[in-house]
Amino acid sequence: MMPSFYQLLKKIIQTGIGKARLFMAAGGLGIAMILLLIAIQAHTDFDQLLHNQRNANESADFLVINKKITNAMMGQNAKSEFTPAEIADLRQQPFTEAFGFITSNQYKVTAAAPGELHFYTDMFFESVPDSFIDVKNDEWKWTPADNTIPIILPNDFLNLYNFGFALSQDLPQISQETVKALPMKVTISQGLMTQEFTGRIVGFSDRISSFLVPGSFMDWANSKFGSGQVAAPSRVIIKTKDPSNPLLSKYLEEKGYTTNQDKIKYSKTKLIVQMIVSVIGFFGLVLLAFALVVFSMFIQLVIASCKKEIQLLVTLGTAPRQLQRYLMRQFVPLYITIGIVALLLVAALQWLASAKLAGHDMFISQWLSVGTACAALLVIVLVYIVNRSSVSRYINAIS
Amino acid sequence: MQIQLENLVPVPLRDKIMQRSSDIWNRQVTFTPGGFTKIKAPSGTGKTTLVHYLYHIRTDYTGQVLVNGKTWDSYSKDAIAGMRQEQVSVIFQDLRVFEQLTALENIELKRVMNAAPYCTAEKVKEMAARLNVTHVLNQSGKTLSYGERQRIAIIRALVQPFQWLIMDEPFSHLDEENAQRAALLIAEECKARNAGFILTDLDNDNRFAYDTHYNL
Repeated sequence: MMPSFYQLLKKIIQTGIGKARLFMAAGGLGIAMILLLIAIQAHTDFDQLLHNQRNANESADFLVINKKITNAMMGQNAKSEFTPAEIADLRQQPFTEAFGFITSNQYKVTAAAPGELHFYTDMFFESVPDSFIDVKNDEWKWTPADNTIPIILPNDFLNLYNFGFALSQDLPQISQETVKALPMKVTISQGLMTQEFTGRIVGFSDRISSFLVPGSFMDWANSKFGSGQVAAPSRVIIKTKDPSNPLLSKYLEEKGYTTNQDKIKYSKTKLIVQMIVSVIGFFGLVLLAFALVVFSMFIQLVIASCKKEIQLLVTLGTAPRQLQRYLMRQFVPLYITIGIVALLLVAALQWLASAKLAGHDMFISQWLSVGTACAALLVIVLVYIVNRSSVSRYINAIS
Repeated sequence: MQIQLENLVPVPLRDKIMQRSSDIWNRQVTFTPGGFTKIKAPSGTGKTTLVHYLYHIRTDYTGQVLVNGKTWDSYSKDAIAGMRQEQVSVIFQDLRVFEQLTALENIELKRVMNAAPYCTAEKVKEMAARLNVTHVLNQSGKTLSYGERQRIAIIRALVQPFQWLIMDEPFSHLDEENAQRAALLIAEECKARNAGFILTDLDNDNRFAYDTHYNL
């Protein structure tokens, strides 16, 4: 069997000359790749952890945002209102996926329980766009022809009553069903104008701590009983993919806004993890750069040590392109091996980490993320391109 | 493929050349495609230099070497490599055999350099037999005698397609009988390709039916 052209080239161009350098470059590339992949994988894992701790069905979270009430602001309600400029700014933040006003009533509201319950209270209503409400209900609608107002109560409110007030005052605890069954007499008034409605509780919200009525009712009542002017909102609601986004908590802090702190408590942890991951990733990149330099030196050494042979090959008609392809063919299996080994190592780490974390009720995928695999591919392609250009540069220099 | 020389003068030999007359240096020369051309050149007149200029491995000259009407410099390295694989072949005076390869591998290297080899491996064996080098084919290039190297270099030049074969004293290390065999083989291979050659040598000879004679 006659040897092929590349087999003959292998006898002429000895790539064994810079073995030490090649090992250094390969080792450096391997470690760089592992660091980079770990950084990317850790980033994905942490995201996964955060999202698993929340309601798995909800891909987004809703935050009610208001200004912090300070002592200096007390008595000046206008200071807690959002100006149009502030609203526009909040709307265009990258973390804001959707934005809605919480509209307050501009009239007096009183509610009375029916029959013998002797319950009477002043209260308030607010409304938000329907897409922000977590209670899906057919009864949640209102037209001016209706005398019944659907109302959503905060879950916390019923809990406060049942476990705080009722127990201490020796009053009966009430179930959600009972509350829903009770029609309330709701009177709204402004000056001498009054109108009576029947209020019916249609649901309980975990998301928004307020007494909610449909937007259509609020608009109608505000125009009929209110001042007629649209009041500036003092509470707004936003939809966000990731409430632990450090950008979000930093923004709120800078502006002096507050929200449900529980929802954004992971942002600090996330910041720290992101920092660590960035540092690992940065070292990975630096190491990758060094590995590329050493590779380039190795290539230079190989070509310089075979200078005469390469020149004779070119004289005999070998195209620089053929030599380049031959040399790259020597290196590519090495890159791919390094890439696969690094991927396998990180995959093993991921598997171990997932098993370990599962013991603490934290769940991450057992497998590598697509992003990590893509990153490995990207690094291999980068190394290939850089080495190819050094091969062609050094060959061109001597041929 | 047409080769033309325009006022070609090697820079290192300029003074020497200007003192005497030459059919090649500082002239307009067009080598007729398919023609057998002999250039007779006494030692020191730049015979090897001319071969290197024609094959574009040296460029220290004034004037021009035109290939198909264009200077060598205007071709890319890959284009030149393509021409050396398909259109022009060479036998160097210093033979230039890879010592780390066997004699056969030296020939094979040239044969399989083209993705589609011009001649078969059997044809190589046949040519080796005609030049009496079959017994050294598996010997390392390092251990070959000059005569053997020269015959290997001749076979190597003949395994590729070409329109021009450039030879620099191709029989200098061969005895009369082997030189005759080699000349016969070269002439046959040139005819088979409708190719011409440019041969430089020290003396007159009648090994080929030359179409053109020049004195360097």
